[in-house]
Amino acid sequence: MQLWQVHGAMDVRWMLRDIRTLLTFVIADSLSSIASASAIFLLAERFGAIGRWRADQIVFMLAYAMVVSGLPYLFFNYNVSYISRRVGRGQWDHTLIQPNPIWMSLLTEGFSPFSAIMAVLPGLALLAWAIPRAAPPLTLGWLALLLLNLSASVIIALAFSFLWGSLAFWAPRAAEELNLSTWKLLDQLKQFPLDGLGALLTGGLLTIVPSGFLAWYPCRTLLNIDTRPAGPMVTPLAAGVTALLATWVFRRGMKQYGRTGSQRYLSFGHRR
Amino acid sequence: MGAPDHNDISPSDTVVDLIGVCKTYRQKQRSAKLSEVFRTMLRPQIRQVEALREITMQVGRGEVLAYAGPNGAGKSTTIKLLSGLLAPDAGTVRVLGLDPIRHRTQYVRRIGVVFGQRTELWWDQPIAASFEWKRVVWDVPRPRYERMLGLLKELLGLDELFHSLARELSLGQKMRADLGMALLHEPEILFLDEPTLGLDVLAKRDILRFITDLNREQRITVVVTSHDMSDLEQLAGRIVLIHKGRIAFDGSWERLRREFTDQRRLLLEIAGGPPPILTAATLVSNEAGRCEYVFDAGHKSIAALLAEAAAQVEILDVETHRAAIDDVIADIYERWQQDGTRSHEGGLAKTSAP
Repeated sequence: MQLWQVHGAMDVRWMLRDIRTLLTFVIADSLSSIASASAIFLLAERFGAIGRWRADQIVFMLAYAMVVSGLPYLFFNYNVSYISRRVGRGQWDHTLIQPNPIWMSLLTEGFSPFSAIMAVLPGLALLAWAIPRAAPPLTLGWLALLLLNLSASVIIALAFSFLWGSLAFWAPRAAEELNLSTWKLLDQLKQFPLDGLGALLTGGLLTIVPSGFLAWYPCRTLLNIDTRPAGPMVTPLAAGVTALLATWVFRRGMKQYGRTGSQRYLSFGHRR
Repeated sequence: MGAPDHNDISPSDTVVDLIGVCKTYRQKQRSAKLSEVFRTMLRPQIRQVEALREITMQVGRGEVLAYAGPNGAGKSTTIKLLSGLLAPDAGTVRVLGLDPIRHRTQYVRRIGVVFGQRTELWWDQPIAASFEWKRVVWDVPRPRYERMLGLLKELLGLDELFHSLARELSLGQKMRADLGMALLHEPEILFLDEPTLGLDVLAKRDILRFITDLNREQRITVVVTSHDMSDLEQLAGRIVLIHKGRIAFDGSWERLRREFTDQRRLLLEIAGGPPPILTAATLVSNEAGRCEYVFDAGHKSIAALLAEAAAQVEILDVETHRAAIDDVIADIYERWQQDGTRSHEGGLAKTSAP
């Protein structure tokens, strides 16, 4: 908690370091948020309904996807979620000389509650708009399921990023920017409803590139489009499996790092 | 190669203990020929570079150890091993009785590390914020933090830059702040990798003075690497010279000069006439009756040379100078380089297929 507090305070200080930076930030983020929200409404309006999805349900899914994209910025900024950059640039040493378990450093060092808030707020606002229209009657149980699935989707996105980003332990230079591609891949695919796709393609988008779990699958179950009773637990289960796999690969990468260390160092992007 | 001068360190005083440490890196060899590109891609030639070979070394509590060697000798590898950033292939590394890798979180609480070419400071934050971050992450109790902060501000002159952003500081100011941050949690041992790299003479002098004071007053153990030998000579009582992964010398500066070369300069001011011819001394310049000679004091004494000169000319004045430590070390490196060339890569780097 104290670590989050100190990183939160540093984030405020960074945002408020001068009036010009603050205004640029606020204006740019507001424009980008308006554009994102407008795009979602325009898509929903244009298509009206996609298969079994009504327009308000599509808004719910796209808002859910926006929140899933935004949360890693809020909690895992400064290239924590782009781990291939930290490792590839030789900046992993900075984490290793801190007297905390690695997971604790990773969980707290990228906390940016102020500078990254605009990455989450539009999604949350849209979600708040869509819930009364698209979701089943609001209960505490349903809200808990929503939170569980949101967290699970974020974990899947992060685990996927760490899984591929760990390659930088073996090939620092070649894999340095790998996470840029993995995040782009997930971002581009996560907002498509996958209904009607063949089993192979759907399976692929739920396993090899698990973008289906970042919005489509959990929203189907949360909105009762898929009524199987175990449905809401599938995304959390997938999150557990992906996280275990990512942890295993990452730990192997750490062992490799212990053997070879870092042969290069770039200060770029480290602590801003 | 000399035997260590510091065998008198008792086990309880030993804070750094390296025994038979080896570290080998693998480097893929690439061919310049296009015809070989595919072959080397599928079956790369691997060159084994032995960065450290059977390094055994102890450092006592409160000691300042200079760790030097030419580029690629294995200095940074050693500092990384000691900081817990790298694991040895063979041998054991124990610092403060702990394994730096296995006991990482416990260990890094007790050490401080400064890499001259990197910074631990948060770039877009005032120095005060980086220090506060350090206090929280290292969980330093507030009264201890305040006491150390006061001390460090005074010794390093941090007051003037405490509220400036790290990116606005000069190289010397950044190094002062980095040093302060590394010491905030009162480490028992400090590893400094090229701390004076790129600093001007004034900044360098401040840093050197600070480290010396710190060692004297706090009895903190310091292991420092640098290419600047005069810096190291000012700081450390003992030097370990590493060459191609092996310890080539471990002892005092005095002994280093004695064993490798005791080259000196002799300046004679004479009344007139041609410069005297001295055996075992080389005349390097002769201007307006001031004759400068170079000689090895290990082979011929100054008294003998003066007697020889006095027999030939009238001497008006005499000056002698020891060779600067940088020249001594440069001579040693040059000698190693020549030896290495003669022994044709000497089997230090082996090449093998994967």
